[in-house]
Amino acid sequence: MSKLTQSRRSFLQTAAFAGAAGLTGSFPGISWSAEGDTLTVRFDREMESLDPGYYVGGHPANDVNWCLMPALIYFGDSDSGWVPSPYVESIVVTDSTHIDFTLKKGFMWSGDNGELTAEDVAYSFERMKDSEWKGDYVAFDRVEVKDSHSGTIVLNQPFAPFVSLTLASGTGIINSKKALEAVGGKYTTEPPATCGPYVMEHKQAQWVKMRPNPNWTGPKPAFANIDCIFVTDSESGALAFEAGELDCAKITSSAYARYQKELPDNAALTVAGALQYMWMGINTENPKLADPNIRRAIQMAVDVDSIVAGAYSGTAEKSSGIICPGLVGHRSAPGYPYDPVAAKALIDEAGASGLKLTLRTLNAQERVLAAQIIQANLAVIGITVEIIPLDSGPFWEMGQESKGDTWKDMELHIMRFGAGPDPYEATQWFVRDQVGIWNWERWSSDEFEELYAKGIAETDSAEREKIYVRMQEIMEETGGYVWLTHEPEVFLHRADLDAHFAPTGEMQLASFAPK
Amino acid sequence: MWWYLLKRLGLSVIIVLMAIAVLFVMLHSIPGDPVSIALGPRATPEIQAAYAEKMHLDKPLPYQFLIFVSSVLQGDLGTDVFSNRSVGLTLAEQLPYTITLAVAALGWAIILGIPLGCLSAIWPNSWIDRVTGILSVGTIAVPSFLVSIWAILVFAIMLHWLPVIGAGDEGDIVDQLRHLILPAFAVGLGWVGYLARMVRASMLEVMGENYIRSARAFGLPARVVVFRYALPVAILPTITLIGVGFGGLLSGTVFAEIIFSRPGVGRIIYDMVQARNFPVVQGAVLVTIALYVIVTLISDLLVSWLDPRVRDSL
Repeated sequence: MSKLTQSRRSFLQTAAFAGAAGLTGSFPGISWSAEGDTLTVRFDREMESLDPGYYVGGHPANDVNWCLMPALIYFGDSDSGWVPSPYVESIVVTDSTHIDFTLKKGFMWSGDNGELTAEDVAYSFERMKDSEWKGDYVAFDRVEVKDSHSGTIVLNQPFAPFVSLTLASGTGIINSKKALEAVGGKYTTEPPATCGPYVMEHKQAQWVKMRPNPNWTGPKPAFANIDCIFVTDSESGALAFEAGELDCAKITSSAYARYQKELPDNAALTVAGALQYMWMGINTENPKLADPNIRRAIQMAVDVDSIVAGAYSGTAEKSSGIICPGLVGHRSAPGYPYDPVAAKALIDEAGASGLKLTLRTLNAQERVLAAQIIQANLAVIGITVEIIPLDSGPFWEMGQESKGDTWKDMELHIMRFGAGPDPYEATQWFVRDQVGIWNWERWSSDEFEELYAKGIAETDSAEREKIYVRMQEIMEETGGYVWLTHEPEVFLHRADLDAHFAPTGEMQLASFAPK
Repeated sequence: MWWYLLKRLGLSVIIVLMAIAVLFVMLHSIPGDPVSIALGPRATPEIQAAYAEKMHLDKPLPYQFLIFVSSVLQGDLGTDVFSNRSVGLTLAEQLPYTITLAVAALGWAIILGIPLGCLSAIWPNSWIDRVTGILSVGTIAVPSFLVSIWAILVFAIMLHWLPVIGAGDEGDIVDQLRHLILPAFAVGLGWVGYLARMVRASMLEVMGENYIRSARAFGLPARVVVFRYALPVAILPTITLIGVGFGGLLSGTVFAEIIFSRPGVGRIIYDMVQARNFPVVQGAVLVTIALYVIVTLISDLLVSWLDPRVRDSL
C-alpha cells in the first residue's frame, strides 16, 4: 500500500474519470487516516455497556474505558506483566493480602465531581462484589482509606490473580463515587463522569470518537484524537485498512493467513496473544454419550492437526487444555493420542457403530470448517455427525438451563472462551456451580472443586503449575473435552504505528504512537 | 378517487395492525425467558424482576399485546436494552441514512434503466437492444454484495478515489455524497437491469396497441408518440415495481450497510439480532413495515391517478 499524493496529474486523472462517469462531485484525495493527529481503528461491534461491573466481553468496553477512566495498573508489554498507571504515585504489594496505593493529585473528574480520590477506589471496588463480574473480586475484602489519595486494598485470602487479572483488566476500572451514586449506581454506555486523557463522543452503530480532555494533567497521548469506527464485517475492516481508512483493524484467521503470505505496503501484523481456547465439548449426561468408552473414542478420533491446517490455515496453535500458552499450568500435549484405529476399536467394543450425533457450532467460517473436519473424522470410526450451525444468540444460550430446554438435547458442541492472563479465570467456568450455566459438558468433581479453591489461594508458581495441570487432566478424564486450538487475536496495522495490545486482545489506544 | 383512497388507507392500516400482531407473536415464540435473553446470564434475580416489571413481562400475554399496540400507536417503540435510549430516537437517527441510500440507488437506476428500456423497445433487435439485454441480465444476476466488494477493490483500494466505510462527516455534504457513491452504485446496479427489462417489455406491448398505430398514422412525430402516448401507459407497472422495490430496499440495503459500515435500519436490525436486543429489532421491523406500506400506498395512488381503471380493481 502506498501513500497517495494528490499531484496535478492524479488530480487530472481523477477529474477525467469523474467527467466520464457523469459525476459532478469532487473527489478530495485520500490520505492515511492517522496522518496528523487522528488515529482511526476498527471496533467490530457496538458497545453494550462500559460499566466495569456489567460489561459483556472485553472488547470494545475495555478499549474505551482505558482511554476515559482511571485504573491503578495497566497490562504491560509482556503477557503476564503489569505497570502502574499514570494515575498512581506508587502501588506496592506489601504481602499476599495487602496492596498499598497512592494516587497522584490533580486528576479531575468531569462535571462537578471533584478530584480522583482513594474513596473513589474504595467505592468502585466495593460495588464489584455484587456485580456480574464478582468472580474477579472473590478474594477482595475492603479498601482501607488512609487519606484522600492513599489506601490499602485488603484481600480476605491470598489471591494470586488479583493484581495480574482483576486490577489490570477491565474490572479494575475506577468510577467517581459522587457521579455514580447520582445516577443510581449503574450505567451503560455513558459513564457518569470521566477522568482520562480523552473525552468521548458516541454515535450509536457508527462511531466512538475520543477527543482531548482539556482537564487532563497526565502524560499527553501521542494521538490527540482517536476515531473508533464500528465495522462489524471483518473482511470489510481489512478492505478499509487497505483503502487507507483504518490504521488498525482486528482480522480473522483466514485474513491472517492471507496477509502472512503478502502484506500490503506499510502494513504489519501483531498477534496480541492467544488467550482463547477452543474445544469440542461432549455432554456427559446425554444418554447416547453415557458410555465413557464412546467419549474416549471421540477424543482419539479427532485430527486436530487437520483442523489447524484446514480451518485456520496453520495460524492457530494446537490446544492441550484450557490454560493458554505462556501461562502457569499450560500443558504441552493432551493426555490422549490421535489414534483413529484405537478409537474405532473402542466404538466397536461399546457396540456404538452407526451412532448418530449432532454437533452444534457458532455459524462462523472457521468453526464450521472445524466442524466439517470433525464430521469426517468421526465418520471414520462409524459415527455420523449432523452439524447444526447457529447464530450467536441461540448459540450462547443453548447450554444454559435458564434459556430453554436445548441443553437437554445437546450432544457435541464446539465452544471457544477467552481468558485472562491467569489460569484461575479459565477454570472458574467448569466448577460445579457452573453446570447448566457455562459448564455445558455437565460434569463435576470433588477433586476439581478442591483444587479450584486451592489454586485461588496458592501464590507459589510451581504449586500452581501442578494444580492447574491436574485440573485439566481431570477435565480430560471425564471424556467431555476434545482440545482444539488456541486462536490468536490478530491485528493488521500500519507498520509505522507503535500499536499496544493487552494480552486479552484489547487495544490500549492511549498508548498507540507513531514510530 | 376519494373512495379508492379511503379503501386503500383502510387496507394499509389493517396490514400494519396484522404486522404488529405477527411480530408480537413471533417475538414471544422465541424459546427461553425473554428477561434472561435481554439481560444476560449474570443478571441478579432483583435486576431481572425490575426489568420484567418495567417491560410488563410479568403480565399476561393479551395484556402485554394491548400495551404493545397502545405504545406503538403513541409512537413509543420501547427502550434499548443496553443503552437505555429510546428505540424511536435510535431509529430516527438511522432511517435518514437508509432512505438516502435507497433513493440514491433507485434514483440512478431509474435515470439509466428507464431510458435504456425505452430505447430497446423503440429499436428492438438493434445493437442497443442487444447490449441492454446482456447488461440487464448481467446486472440482475450479480448479487449486490459482490458488486460492493468489487467496487471497493477497484475504486477504493486500487484507485483510492472513493471512501469505503461510514457515511461521511456530519454537515459536510460533499463528504457524505462521496461516501454514498459506492453503496448506491452497488445497490442500484441490479435495479438498472430490472427497470430496463420491465420498461422494454411494457413499451413493446404498448407500441403494438391500436392507438399508437393511429397516432403514427396521423403523422405525429416519433418523439411525441413515444413520450406522450406510449410511455405514460407503459410506465404504470414500472411505477408499481419501483414502489415495491423502494419498500424492499428499506430493509434490503443491509448488505451494503454492513459491507460499507454505513449506518442504517438494515444494519441496525442485523447488529441488534446478533446482540439479541429485541426492543430495537422489534421497533426497526415495525418502522420498516410501516414505511413499506406507505411507499406502496403512494405508488398505488400514483398508478390509480394515472390510470383511473385501477380504482375499481380494489
